[in-house]
Amino acid sequence: MSLDDLSKLPPPAPPPLSALLEAELSHLAPVATRRPMRQLALLIAISLAYGAGVLAMIAVRGDLHELPMGWLVGAGLTWLLGFVVPAYLATVPRTGAMMPRWKPAGIASVLASVAFIVLGLSIHPAASTSHGWDLVWRGYGCFGTGLAAAIVPVVVGAIALRRALPVGSRWVAAALGASAGSLGGLVLHLHCPVIEGLHVGLAHGAVVGAAALLAALLVPRAIDVR
Amino acid sequence: MADARDLMQRYCDGDAGAFRELYALVAPRLLGYLLKMARERALADDLLQQTFLKVHRARAAYVRGADPLPWIYSIAHRTFIDEARKHKRAVVRVDEGGELPEVAAALTGESADRRDDSRGDPELMSAALDALAELPAQQREAVVLTKLDGKSVAEAAEIAGTTVGAMKVRAHRGYEALRKLLGKAAPKKVQGGAA
Repeated sequence: MSLDDLSKLPPPAPPPLSALLEAELSHLAPVATRRPMRQLALLIAISLAYGAGVLAMIAVRGDLHELPMGWLVGAGLTWLLGFVVPAYLATVPRTGAMMPRWKPAGIASVLASVAFIVLGLSIHPAASTSHGWDLVWRGYGCFGTGLAAAIVPVVVGAIALRRALPVGSRWVAAALGASAGSLGGLVLHLHCPVIEGLHVGLAHGAVVGAAALLAALLVPRAIDVR
Repeated sequence: MADARDLMQRYCDGDAGAFRELYALVAPRLLGYLLKMARERALADDLLQQTFLKVHRARAAYVRGADPLPWIYSIAHRTFIDEARKHKRAVVRVDEGGELPEVAAALTGESADRRDDSRGDPELMSAALDALAELPAQQREAVVLTKLDGKSVAEAAEIAGTTVGAMKVRAHRGYEALRKLLGKAAPKKVQGGAA
C-alpha cells in the first residue's frame, strides 16, 4: 500500500455531537466576532491616551524647547513606529485568514528589542556624567516607568486576542509586549532629559525587550485556544 | 452545500443548524487527520469532540469573511499535541501486580496490541498505518497534512504553527522514512501472501 492509496481512503464517519456540545447548542446565542482593524485602532487609541496620562503624571522633560526639532520628532516617530508595527502584526491577520501573522510578529518583536538598545547606545553618544549606583538608580527609575507605561497596551491586546490563537501565541504575545514597550520608550523619550548613551540604550531601549519577554511569558494563557 | 465561511458566519449569528452543517462538512476530514495522528478510533473521536468544543467556546475569535478551516485544523493539532504530552507523561503503565506490560505503549499511550485497525483491507492498512505511526510526531503530521490530506506546504505550516521551510523539511524526511519503512514491509507481505 502506498501513500496514494492511503490518501484515497474515504474519510471516516464522525461520531454524533457530544452531549456537552448539544447542551451548549441548545441555548446558542449570537456572538460579536473579532474585527481586527477596529481592535487595532482601539488598541492604539487607548494606549496613546494612557501613555499621555502617564506622561502628564510624571511631567514632560524640561529641556523640550531646547532640543533640535528634527531629532525630537525623528526619535519620537521611531518609537511610535516600534509601537504600531508589532501591534499591527500581532492583531491583524492577512486578508482571508483568521490567525494573526505570528511569524512576522515574532521577528518584529526581536528586531525591536535589539534595535532600540543599539539605537539608544549609538545615537546618544554623550559621555556618562553619572556613575555607579547613581547610574543604576536613574536607570532603574526609567526602566520601571517604561514598563508601567507598557501594561495597558498589553492588557488591551490580550483582551482583543483572547482565545484566538491555537498556535504561535507566544510570538504574538512577544510582539504585543514589544509594541507596548516601545510606547513606554516614547513616554520616556518625552520625559527623561538624560542623553547618555548607556542610560538611553539600557534603561529606555531595554524596556522593549523586557516587556516582550514578560508578555511572552504571561499573555499566552489569555490568548491561547483552550 | 454551503462553504465553511458562510456556515461559520451563520453559526456566529446564533444559527445552531449552521454549526451542525459545519460539523458535517469538516468533521470527517478532521477525524481522518486525527485518526492518522492518534492511531486509535476512540481517542480520535474524543479529540474531535474536544476540538469542536474549543471551536464553539472560541467562536467569538472568528473574523468574518475568513476561512475557518486552518484555524479549526490548528485547534485539532494543538489538542492532539496536548493529549500526546499527557499520555507521554503517563506512558509507562504497570499492571495490578506492579509489573510493566509486555507491549510498549505508543505515542498515544495505547499499547500496540490494542490498536484499532478495523477500516479497509486490514493487513495492508495496518502495514501502512504502522509505518506511519513509526515516524516522529512532527514528520507524521507533515506527511498526513501534505501527502494525505492534500494541504499545501504553506497551509500545513500555518496549521502546525511552524515555518514553511521547516514543514518542507519535515514532510520530505517523513516521506523518505515512510518509503523505506513501506519498502521493508512489502517483501514480508509478499512472502506472507505466497505461503
